[in-house]
Amino acid sequence: MRLIGRSAAAVVLAAGCLAATACAPGTAAPAVDRAGDDRTGTLQVWLYNEAGNAAKEAVIAKAVGEFQASHQGVTVRVGYIDTDASARAAKMKGAFNDPNSAPDLVEFGNTDLPGYVAAGGLADIGADLDAWPDKGDLDPAIARTAVVDGRTYGLPWWVGVRALYYRSDLFTEAGLAPPASYADLVAATRSIHAAHPDTFGIAVGGKYTFGALPFVWDAGGDIAAKDGTAYKAAIDSPASQAGIKRYTDLFGADGCPAQQCADLTGGKTVDLFAAGKSAMAILPNSSRSKVDAGAVKGKYGVVPLPGEKAGSIAPAFAGGNNLGVMKAAKHRTLAVEFARLLAGPAYQEQMYDAMGNLPTLRSVSARVAAKDAFLKPFTDTIAAGTRFVPLDQAWAQIDAQSVIPTMLQQVVTGKADVAKASGDAAGRITSAFAAH
Amino acid sequence: MNSRSRWRLAADTSALVLAAATAFPVFWMVLSAFKPKGEVQSLDPKPWTAHPTLESFRQVLSVDGFGRYFVNSLVVALSVVVLSAVVVFLAAVAVTRFRFRFRTTVMVMFLIAQMIPVEALTIPLFFMFRDAGRFAPGVGLNTLASLVLVQLAFSLPFGIWMMRGFVAAVPVSIEEAAQIDGASRTRILWRILLPLVAPGLAATSVFSFIAAWNDFVFAKTFIISATENQTLPSALLVFFKPDENDWGGIMAASTLMTVPVLVFFVAVQRKLVSGLAGAVKD
Amino acid sequence: MSVPTTTAPAAPPSPGSRRGGPAPAAPPGGRRRRTPLLLLLPAAVVLVPLVAYPIYQLGLLSVLDFGQAQASGGAPTSFVGLGNYTRILQDGQFWSVLLQTVGFAAFCVLATLAVGAALAVLLTRVGRWPRLVLTTAATAAWAAPAMTGSTVWSFLFDTNLGLVNHTLVRLGLTGFHEFNWFYDKWTAFLIVGAVVVWHSFPFVMVTLYAGIRAIPEEILEAAALDGANTWTTFRRITAPMLRPILTIVVIQSVIWDFKVFTQIYVMTEGGGIAGQNLVLNVYAYQKAFASSQYGLGAAIGVIMLLVLVIPTVLYIRTLRRTGNDL
Repeated sequence: MRLIGRSAAAVVLAAGCLAATACAPGTAAPAVDRAGDDRTGTLQVWLYNEAGNAAKEAVIAKAVGEFQASHQGVTVRVGYIDTDASARAAKMKGAFNDPNSAPDLVEFGNTDLPGYVAAGGLADIGADLDAWPDKGDLDPAIARTAVVDGRTYGLPWWVGVRALYYRSDLFTEAGLAPPASYADLVAATRSIHAAHPDTFGIAVGGKYTFGALPFVWDAGGDIAAKDGTAYKAAIDSPASQAGIKRYTDLFGADGCPAQQCADLTGGKTVDLFAAGKSAMAILPNSSRSKVDAGAVKGKYGVVPLPGEKAGSIAPAFAGGNNLGVMKAAKHRTLAVEFARLLAGPAYQEQMYDAMGNLPTLRSVSARVAAKDAFLKPFTDTIAAGTRFVPLDQAWAQIDAQSVIPTMLQQVVTGKADVAKASGDAAGRITSAFAAH
Repeated sequence: MNSRSRWRLAADTSALVLAAATAFPVFWMVLSAFKPKGEVQSLDPKPWTAHPTLESFRQVLSVDGFGRYFVNSLVVALSVVVLSAVVVFLAAVAVTRFRFRFRTTVMVMFLIAQMIPVEALTIPLFFMFRDAGRFAPGVGLNTLASLVLVQLAFSLPFGIWMMRGFVAAVPVSIEEAAQIDGASRTRILWRILLPLVAPGLAATSVFSFIAAWNDFVFAKTFIISATENQTLPSALLVFFKPDENDWGGIMAASTLMTVPVLVFFVAVQRKLVSGLAGAVKD
Repeated sequence: MSVPTTTAPAAPPSPGSRRGGPAPAAPPGGRRRRTPLLLLLPAAVVLVPLVAYPIYQLGLLSVLDFGQAQASGGAPTSFVGLGNYTRILQDGQFWSVLLQTVGFAAFCVLATLAVGAALAVLLTRVGRWPRLVLTTAATAAWAAPAMTGSTVWSFLFDTNLGLVNHTLVRLGLTGFHEFNWFYDKWTAFLIVGAVVVWHSFPFVMVTLYAGIRAIPEEILEAAALDGANTWTTFRRITAPMLRPILTIVVIQSVIWDFKVFTQIYVMTEGGGIAGQNLVLNVYAYQKAFASSQYGLGAAIGVIMLLVLVIPTVLYIRTLRRTGNDL
């Protein structure tokens, strides 16, 4: 390393380069050197800029007002960052690499967590949370999504889970009850498609990872399993393969024809269902407004996605966002306090009212479900137990390389059978874990 | 004679048909931007609209700080155009009017510089600008100057390659005559050669303008926390969400991004063709 | 790295404005050495730190295990030798993507040149107004940013809302009802290729048209008087005179089309169904940059560079051997 650094320095000097420190590929000084704990000044906060952000901004403005009123000499500056995957990744990497540009508190998607932790960008706030009176109220499965190697790096702020939307009018017409098992679901696609050849039995997508995973989990499979301390690919296990088969079988003529659906993302399946093009879809609670804006307003219902066993609920993916304190934060205590305010019962409920984001606190969850019957299938799904992707930075790589979508698409388009496709995927997953 | 004019008619007609086909996607983009939301998403698309509306444009213009981002983009693109014209001109004169050791190597280097995927260079560049910022905050991360500098650097290799032809096209005899008249080397360069190759500079500037105007790779890497220094493409990225096909918004954003480039093109178009013609008169 | 070597002698600045120097096109060696280096100085000042040095660092990164953790100081950097290269070269997908990239680039370059050249010739045969209209239309295609161009074309070819499917069905081709152009690998490549050509043929057309126009009328007339037919005139006069610009146009097209990113990334949503439409640049992004494996990404960058540099150098050597020069 030193040798390389020196020869690089020679080039730098010869070229009249700007800074001698740029000799080797740059690295940031460990962020912790810069951390501070000022109790006054400007608290910098980055939150996601979401669809319908005005409602979110209104709630946050209220929280900011309350916080500033109770903290003399503190100003909270909130920036809303673009949620586009590559833009937000660039932004966060920038903040890690240049601590001078870093905020104090950030909102981040819970699947991004392991990568941020490995980058050394987030502070361990486990001790701060232990002192939080509402900690015991957090849903345990969701709380686990903020823990890496026994340390807590985030405060779960909200979650979104998926359930089965179905066209109540078409089901009634066909004399069907909402599906209570996988077999029911398949039978429904068949009879509705037979009666309405232009309608897809169900909207699914070859790129819809989080639509497929519940089938895998329900069958007893997983992406990877922890073997001692190391993860091992499990996507090619017999149980996983059974789940993959159940999901990909839905891409037939009755369900969602491969020609149309092999390249769909989850977002596109919302469009299909909203346009009245499909009889069912696996969608998050937040899709409600989009569906209501479409052709099927008032003609649909929601039930938990059924598992194979009649009456069971397929485990949903617990996607959601956490609040985390940057390691380079200059106002550590203030950042934790503001996070606790935002994730506290009052603001979780207001965030639900504004954005439809599901609360992570069980008491608030029960309260909003009582207020809005629409939420019941979603809160039931959470209560039945949610699952998550491997909490390891390899996940970022597996996700970026589209390992799961590629596997699904290979099966759906007939390029490979389940055994071959899942075997390839397992190989890629294993090498991703080996690389980190 | 008759068959000849029939040929001409056929040529004229096919030129117009091809022009229509070429311009069609741009027409469709502008049209969709003016259509009401319901019509854009219609399953029965029509090549006209009875109810043009500014709804989509209003939505795009309501992006916080749109005006600011627009000006930032313009400042960056125009700075790059001006700076790169000067540097490109001097370097092109060097490689066409002089023979020196490593001349071919330098030319090949200019080619090689264009072959690297920019994405691969953002990381070393990021750290360079971060470190530079410690000594000279004016050119560090989060500044428009950093964007101007990288865009300038990436516009030079191609610019020099193109400009070479334009400089070579100017007969050496003109400079020789001026030299005999006692003009200084500097004077020959700026007062005689520069005006003669100005059309060529216009042609190359189109490329640097487009590259600088469209960039979002560097903009999103370098402008981390200074939202006031964001440029237009990274601000309009919100409309290009793969999952939410708001085609009306996307088309309005696309139109607003394309218009300045078109204006720049039209402004230099006449020079462009004469400039490119000059490059091959040698 | 020979860029620093060539610029190093330029260090002592001195105004090269002495009068009565040798004529500008004097033979090699006879010139004052400093002037060209002085003229190259501004370019060097920008390019050495901002392009040459990062390229050098790219090479360095490619032999390191360098990810986000290393970049932000969370983990030490380690030297892995050719580890990144072997990882790529052993990936079966890399070779199919490489082959695909070369094929796709070749298709785009040939199609761009064919369309551009045909339209350039057409421009010389039409009246003033049709010429203006076609040039303006081409200008619009040229000016459209890659991102917006790709988006508009995706919209036109959209499975459900697209005008193309709709029109084809109207024309009686009912098989195109909700036809997904991006389901099949080859139709997907065809459409993306069409967009690449649409974006890049105007450059070729305008440049070649300018080139043809620059050929003095007298020469062509003289050839006609000598009884040369169209083909002979083209082979003996037009083609040789266009050679320098053709060279530039071909080299640039190869470089650009080999590096196509936006069109593929936007239109096939990151490489197509099961990655069937991946090209090297998108592959590098997915494989490495999206998950912050900069060392691996740098190695792919270096490989891409080599794939382009080797034919370029060979080409330049042939040029010099045949007495031509750059």
